[in-house]
Amino acid sequence: MEFGNLTALSHVSARVEDGEFISIVGPSGCGKTTLLRIVAGLERATEGSARLNGKQITGTGFERGYVFQADNLLPWRTVLGNVLIGIEIRDGSRSRDEIAKALELIRMVGLEGFEGYYPRQLSGGMRQRANIARALAINPEILLMDEPFSALDAQTREVMQLELNRIWQHGKKTVLFVTHQIDEAVFLSDRIIVLARRPGRIREVLDIDLPRPRDLTTKRRPESVDYVDRIWRLIEREVLDSIEEEKANPDKH
Amino acid sequence: MFLAVPSQIVEAAVKLWAAGVLQRHIIVSFSEFIIGYVIAIAIGLPIGLLLAVSPRFRAILSPWVDGLYATPVIAIAPLVILWFGIGIWSKVFVVVSVVIFPVIINTEAGIRSTPHNYVEAIRCFGASRVQVFLKVMIPSALPFIFAGMRLGIGRGLIGVVVGELFGSRAGLGRLIAESAETFNMPNLFVGVLLLAAAGILLTSAFHALERRIVHWT
Repeated sequence: MEFGNLTALSHVSARVEDGEFISIVGPSGCGKTTLLRIVAGLERATEGSARLNGKQITGTGFERGYVFQADNLLPWRTVLGNVLIGIEIRDGSRSRDEIAKALELIRMVGLEGFEGYYPRQLSGGMRQRANIARALAINPEILLMDEPFSALDAQTREVMQLELNRIWQHGKKTVLFVTHQIDEAVFLSDRIIVLARRPGRIREVLDIDLPRPRDLTTKRRPESVDYVDRIWRLIEREVLDSIEEEKANPDKH
Repeated sequence: MFLAVPSQIVEAAVKLWAAGVLQRHIIVSFSEFIIGYVIAIAIGLPIGLLLAVSPRFRAILSPWVDGLYATPVIAIAPLVILWFGIGIWSKVFVVVSVVIFPVIINTEAGIRSTPHNYVEAIRCFGASRVQVFLKVMIPSALPFIFAGMRLGIGRGLIGVVVGELFGSRAGLGRLIAESAETFNMPNLFVGVLLLAAAGILLTSAFHALERRIVHWT
């Protein structure tokens, strides 16, 4: 997959290999989310192109699953109903087989027993699990995740990172993961794309050479800490700038 | 003097019932209400949906909806009697004309206030416009639509009575009008209280239905 010249993003070009876990980090306003939305087909690049398996991305598609930052499970559907929505849209109906698969996925994300619950009955962490299951239900080749854990408290977030790591090990999908949290990116990724802002462009691409499988002890390893420091130094100046700007025009953010 | 104590009202109700008069009034008023109510929803719902999804339709129809909404149909009730006669259809028309507006307005508002993040959630699966409409906009608008229909109940009951006051052979409005002319306060209050009871009963029954269908709110 490649990214060409993009709005708010210029000369962002990177290839993502099959089965890789790639994170995109950068200061606010570097176009992380825009990049992901272009890959998803929710937005269009004004110039350049995004390609999946060599084919130009022109719209949304079933080979890409999107996990949103906002909790946007449909409140009138149960967990199972929400997980099945992608299938219903693709096939117009849901077969017994698909329901069994969806239940299996719900078990896999750790929501067994909550299939019949409505979103309002679930905690934030559980809703994000359901969100992940919904994106996985269409069996996408690539999972696009836009700060999926940013609304969660620190502890739930930690647990969800472990869970995502486990789910990824299980299915070995290609994942494109946008986050603000550098340690989260280091913990989860094979590679990290560090973006710079104004205009959004690639500052550096780092290979994260930490052994797998990873667990919480991975985060405390000196190599992990070094990666985090290195990435922080790359974006520190710009993060401070963006905070200054936000102070100057609070309405724009 | 121009009041009635509860015992007189009950007595009057029993008498009217025994004479078979009360049943007739209730049946006539209820039929006028139900027929008008169902027609108002059958017409109002699709109009509301069209207004929400088609800017062109909205440009053409919006001024009409706003204008007719502000028109006091009740004030032209005598005219309606002339058009549709003294039977039930004049009252049905009055009911339709008062119930249809909350239905149209709430349906349109409901569809148009669909949260964008729900739409996006299914658009990323490649949902078509029709699928977005059916799977997200309609369910998301249901609480609004039901609220509109619920508002219509009270308005419809008033419509029935006012229509009947201007010209009718039977109905609770007729009963009230006749009783008022003869200063028969107990009979008048039988009509008034029955209408109030109908309002409470229909609205709470509707509430129960609403809670079952839009249980997620």
